Amino acid sequence: MIVVESISKSFSRKGKRKPGEPRRIEAVKDVSFTASDGSITGLLGSNGAGKSTTLRMLATLMQPDDGTAILDGHDIIRSKLEVRRTIGFMPHNAGIYPRLTARENIYYYADICGVDRVQRNTRTDELIQMLDMASFIDRRADGFSQGQKTKVGLARALVHSPRTLMLDEPTNGLDVVATRGLRDIIRKLADDGHCVLFSSHVMQEVEALCDRIAVIADGRIAAESSLNGLLISTGQTNLEDAFVSIITTPNTKNEKQVTVDSNRSDMGRHTDGPA
Amino acid sequence: MSRIFTVCLKEILDNLRDRQTLFYALLFGPLLLPLIVAGSLIAGFKQSDIDFSEVSELAVLHADRAPNLISFLRQQNVDVTQAPENYKAELQDGSLELVLEIPENYASNLRTAKPAPLTLYVNHGDRNSSKAARKLSRLLEVHKRTIDTLRLQARGLNPDVFDSVQVTEIDISEDGAGVQILASMLPFLLIMSMVMGGFYLAIDTTAGERERQSLEPLLSLPVQRFSVVAGKYLATWCFVTLSGLLTAIALVLLFRFFPSDVLSTLLRFDAFTIAKAFVLALPLTVLITSLLLAVSAFTRSSKEAQTYLGVLMVIPMAPFFLLQFLNIRSANAIMAMPMMSQYKLLEKVAKGESILPVHILLSVTGTLVFATALFSLAVWLYKRDQIIT
Repeated sequence: MIVVESISKSFSRKGKRKPGEPRRIEAVKDVSFTASDGSITGLLGSNGAGKSTTLRMLATLMQPDDGTAILDGHDIIRSKLEVRRTIGFMPHNAGIYPRLTARENIYYYADICGVDRVQRNTRTDELIQMLDMASFIDRRADGFSQGQKTKVGLARALVHSPRTLMLDEPTNGLDVVATRGLRDIIRKLADDGHCVLFSSHVMQEVEALCDRIAVIADGRIAAESSLNGLLISTGQTNLEDAFVSIITTPNTKNEKQVTVDSNRSDMGRHTDGPA
Repeated sequence: MSRIFTVCLKEILDNLRDRQTLFYALLFGPLLLPLIVAGSLIAGFKQSDIDFSEVSELAVLHADRAPNLISFLRQQNVDVTQAPENYKAELQDGSLELVLEIPENYASNLRTAKPAPLTLYVNHGDRNSSKAARKLSRLLEVHKRTIDTLRLQARGLNPDVFDSVQVTEIDISEDGAGVQILASMLPFLLIMSMVMGGFYLAIDTTAGERERQSLEPLLSLPVQRFSVVAGKYLATWCFVTLSGLLTAIALVLLFRFFPSDVLSTLLRFDAFTIAKAFVLALPLTVLITSLLLAVSAFTRSSKEAQTYLGVLMVIPMAPFFLLQFLNIRSANAIMAMPMMSQYKLLEKVAKGESILPVHILLSVTGTLVFATALFSLAVWLYKRDQIIT
């Protein structure tokens, strides 16, 4: 269970500043949403919208400037270690060690998490089965395909049996078959009672998988609902149109102008102001 | 504590599989560096040292014009040969070291008590040629004095009248000039190999991990960031120390093959001396590890880390050059300076000089203070948000 309570984060701008540009970039502004156990919550947004920063704050990798979040009853600012014990976090490119075997990668994380040896070995065997990793488990990760890397990354994130799972663009670089496989795994994890939060900019992904969707644009939550809820409120028939409609409509509640920094967006669909 | 060891063991295992790290830790510092540096220094030392009992060759033009001079040279272990036609070219390409030409008027001038000319062809661009010229000049000086003495005596004069000043040079330094370089070679090699030993491991475990983006999931695990840094520190320290230890062993073995006449009287490089030097240099392993880790924790990529650390390589090398050119005394302030103090201490060990306990204390304390400061800097860098961006 994740309850995010209006967290914000800004960074100092790198490089040369254009005249009139603020000194700091507000990456995440007053973001609140909830992700409950047994369901899959998607954080949908274009590149640079603030998805990764939000996940990093929830994973206690970064301290929010303002606001907080409660994960399974633990505050991400005050009880970092407790929060880390309850979460499994996979960043957007798995980040596994190429000179270690898949098994060594998984054991390393288990040992750091303090999982005892016997439990570690049985848990790893379970994960090998669940993620179908038997054919490459004792090979060095050097030449792994993106799909294999993602599986190792996922197994690593799950080895200490966390209640909450946070995945940052997990299907990046995966082919259709691997993506479908991963979807099944994520669905199964949610059905087992896990709280799954994942970020994505791929509409089909979110459409196919998520029970709830939080649309994030320019560092703010622009909408939060179920897929049907989003379609109804925007009057569109598919998520892509609903998404574009949401991120290009000024949010009256926050009185914000939807302006998308051209170099922070590669979706190429946004223009300044309402569509 | 067990987390620290988990991180440490993983980093060691990971880097044992990396050829670059292994090459620099196990081969470059301990073996190649001593061979290159010590070898060339010893060779240079031998080159500038003139051995008069050694037989040397001398090519002479018109040897028949000075039979007495030639027989004198032969008595002095000089093997006189006929100079070839193209002697100038051979001098230039180094196949001939020295040519002595005896001009036509040598004998007649000598008979009539006028200065008798001799021409020496030498190539000062070639160290061997210069050395041979110095040796021959000394021999010719002896020959000249004999003739002078005979002439003065024949005229009823005491030859001492012409020696208005007699200069005697007594070398009171405990060593010769070359010995200073040889003595500072011991700390130089030990310290450089320690730095090289930990260099790639420090980069790989910090900047490398950031670059591979494996740091982000690692820091999201239930472990204090301090433990992560400490584990990486411990792994790097193991490589730094191992590299230093292997270098010490390699030096013991290497000096067995060195010409004993050069070393034995002036310097000590036996197993006990090198063991003592290693123990005195040991606090540096802590400092070097901190330095490598702090700098690479500051950088974002391996390439950036290599650039910064490459520049920082000046630090362990600086004392070596400073001590060659400046006369730095073993003052207390110098002894509290890390690197510099180890250079001074290890030099003293190599020369067999006594060491004040207070100097050891200052050296260890100074080094550990700097090491702690740099380690704290590394931990602080890891606690910042920027470490994962």
